[in-house]
Amino acid sequence: MADARPALDTPPAPPSGWEEYAFSVLVIVVVTAASLILPESYYLSVGLIYLLAIILLCQRVGRGPVLLAGVLGAFAWEYIFIPPHFSFAINSLQDALLFGTYFVVSLVVGQLTAQIRAQAQNARLREQHVTALLRLTHALAEAKTLDEAVFAALRQMDELFGAQTSLVLADGAHKTLIPHVASSYALDEKERTAAEEAFRTQQRAGRLTDNLPDRMGHYLPLVRDNKTIGVLGIKAPNSTLTPAQQNLLEAFAQQLAMIIEREYLRAASEREKLLAESEKLHRTLLDSVSHELRTPLAIINASTDSLAGADSNLRGQLVNEIRTAVHRLNRLVGNLLDQTRLESGTLKPRLDWCDAGDIVNAAVESTRDALAGHPLAIAVPEDMPPVRADFALTEHVLANLLLNAANHTPPATPVLLTAGIEPGGQRMFFTVADRGPGFSPAMRGRLFKKFIQDDAASTAGLGLGLSIVRGFVVAQGGEVVASENPGGGALITVYLPHPPPKAAAHAAC
Amino acid sequence: MTKSHSTRLLVVDDEVQIRRLLRLALEAENYEVHEAATGQLALSEAAGVHPDGVVLDLGLPDLDGKEVLRRLREWSQVPVLVLTVRDGEEDKIAALDSGADDYLTKPFSRRELLARLRAVLRRTQPSSEETIVRFSDVEIDFAARIVRRAGAEVKLTAKEYDLLRYLAQHRGRVVTHQQILRELWGANAEDSTHYLRVYMTHLRQKLEPNPRAPKFLQTESGVGYRLVES
Repeated sequence: MADARPALDTPPAPPSGWEEYAFSVLVIVVVTAASLILPESYYLSVGLIYLLAIILLCQRVGRGPVLLAGVLGAFAWEYIFIPPHFSFAINSLQDALLFGTYFVVSLVVGQLTAQIRAQAQNARLREQHVTALLRLTHALAEAKTLDEAVFAALRQMDELFGAQTSLVLADGAHKTLIPHVASSYALDEKERTAAEEAFRTQQRAGRLTDNLPDRMGHYLPLVRDNKTIGVLGIKAPNSTLTPAQQNLLEAFAQQLAMIIEREYLRAASEREKLLAESEKLHRTLLDSVSHELRTPLAIINASTDSLAGADSNLRGQLVNEIRTAVHRLNRLVGNLLDQTRLESGTLKPRLDWCDAGDIVNAAVESTRDALAGHPLAIAVPEDMPPVRADFALTEHVLANLLLNAANHTPPATPVLLTAGIEPGGQRMFFTVADRGPGFSPAMRGRLFKKFIQDDAASTAGLGLGLSIVRGFVVAQGGEVVASENPGGGALITVYLPHPPPKAAAHAAC
Repeated sequence: MTKSHSTRLLVVDDEVQIRRLLRLALEAENYEVHEAATGQLALSEAAGVHPDGVVLDLGLPDLDGKEVLRRLREWSQVPVLVLTVRDGEEDKIAALDSGADDYLTKPFSRRELLARLRAVLRRTQPSSEETIVRFSDVEIDFAARIVRRAGAEVKLTAKEYDLLRYLAQHRGRVVTHQQILRELWGANAEDSTHYLRVYMTHLRQKLEPNPRAPKFLQTESGVGYRLVES
C-alpha cells in the first residue's frame, strides 16, 4: 500500500452479504402487499410510501441492497400501481415523467442516505480514535519516567489494535537500535532488517508496504526534527490496517516520538546542569586551593628574602615562620590526599588495638603549632583500655578536630580533648570541645559536607576537615556527632565500636 | 653521641635539591657523602664504595625503592634509612620488612634525620654488644636482667622486661609490631597487640616521668614503637 492515504470520510465499507439483499427484496414485497389494500387512485401516495421504505431501509442495509430496493420499488410501482395496472405500459406523459423522476430520486435518496449512515459510522470511529489518543496522552502525561510512558503506550496499542507491538530506540550516536523492554514481541533477524530499513529511509517498511512486504511486522519510523529516534513495529493477526487505523497508528507514533524526544532533551538538560554545578564546585576548590597553597608559600618566600640581611634574633623568628608555613602546607597536602582517598573508595582501615592516649598525643603533636595560644587540656582516664581503631586515620580525625577548634575560636580560648568508654561499654569516644561561637542550627545539618565554611569563621583551610573526619570515622564503623558545648561553644564527639578482646586483657606472665 | 670520623654514607634520591640539602646536613656532621640519583646507580655505587650506611629514597625513577633494598640485602647488611613521601603505614611496614632499618617521612627535620641515622649506624658498630643501656634516669643491665630507675630497682614482669630489652637493643630505631610480637610470642595472634598495648602502658607508668606523654617509649603511629634516646 502506498503512503498516500485515502480521505477519512470515504472509507470502504465491507461489502453487503446476501442477507441484506434478501431483506431489501422482502421489504419491497411487504410494502407492495400493504399498498395493494389502498384504492387504485392513491398510486401517487404509494410512490411516496416506497420512497419512505427505501429511506428506512438505509438504516439497516448497505448501498447495494438499497440500490436494489430503489430499482425494484420503482419498477413494482410502475408495473402494479401506475395505470394501467399490472402492466409496464404508461398511459399519460405526466405518469411517465412521474416514473422517471421517481426512479432517479429513489436511487439518489438511497445513495445519499447510505452515505449519511457511513459518515455517521465514520464519525463514531473517529470519536473512538480520538478517545484512544486522549487516553494515550493522559497516560503519557501521568507517566513519571520514559519507560512508564512507553509501557503505557505500547499496552494501549496492543489493546486498541488487537496486535503486538515492538519499539526500538536509537542510541546516543543514532547508529544502533536498542529494543525497548516494553515490546510485546521480539525482533528476529528478518524483522530487524525491516526495522533498520524504516530507520534508514525514514519511511514505513515491512508488511503492507512496498519495502520488504514479506515481513510479519509493519514498521513506522519515529522522526523528530528530521532525525529518526526509533522505530515502532506492529504485528497484527488480521492482515490489514484500515486507513483510519493507519492514521491512528501514525498519531500514536507521533505522540511516542514526541515523548521520547522530550525525555532525551530533559536528560541532556539535567546533564548540563550537573556539569555546570560540578564546574562551579571545581572552581571553588581551585580558588581555595590556590589561596591555601600560595599563602604559606608567600610567607616562606618573604621570610627567605629577609633572611639574608637578618641578625640572629630576626633569623630565629623568620625560621619559625618558615617552619610554621611548611607545617601548614604539609597539612593541606595531607588533607587533599585524605579527601582523595576517601572519594576514590580505596580507603581500607587497618583496625588494630591501639592506645587511645598514643593517638591523642600524636594528634596533639602534629597540631602543636596551630594550637599555640589555646590552652589545651587533655583528659584520658588512667585505666583506659586499648581501643580498636585505625591509628593513622583516627589520628587525622583528632588532628582535624583540634585544628577546627583552633581556627574557629578566639585566641586564648581553651580546648578540651577527652577520651573514654561509653556507659554500657559498647562504644568508646573521643570528644573535642571549645569555647568558640559553636555551630548555628543551620550549619549543623551541612557540617560534614565538603567545602563548607562557616561565614563567621576565619577561612583557614579548605573546609575539608570535617568531611574527612566523618569519612574516616564512618570507615571505621563509627559515628560523629556535633553538638553544643554546655556553657557555650562547639562539642564534637567521635564514637568507635568497642568490641571485647577475645582473651582477658591481663595475661598472667 | 657517637660521631664517626669519615663514616661513609651513600645518599640516593632522584631530586638534586634533596641530595644537596642532605649533603650539607651530613657533611656538617663529618660524614663522607656519596650520591646516586637512580636505583641502578645506587646498587653499583654501593658495590664500589662500600658505604657504612645508606640513605635511600623510595620514590626512584627506575627501580622501586623496595626492590633496590631487596637486591642490596642479597649481598649486604649495610644499615639503610629510607626516605618516603607516603605517610601510609603499609608502605613504611613494607619497607621495614624489605630490609630497611628505619624510615623518615618527607618533609623531615634535620634533627630527626641525624638521630635516626646515628641509631641505624650503631647496629654494625662493635659497641652494639654493650650490656648496659641507659636512657632518662633508667638503666637496663642485660647481664643481670635488672632495671633500675634513679638507682632503685623496678619490678617488671617477664614479658614487660622482654619488651623493654628488645626496644633498648634497637634503641633509636623503629621496631614494628610484627617484630615485637615475634620476639615476645613467636606468633602473630590478633589479640597479642592488645597485650602489647597493656604492657607498654605498664612500662610507661613504671619508667616515664609523665606516663601520659611519653618521651622515650614512643609510639610510631600504626607501625610500631621506638625507644628514643634524647
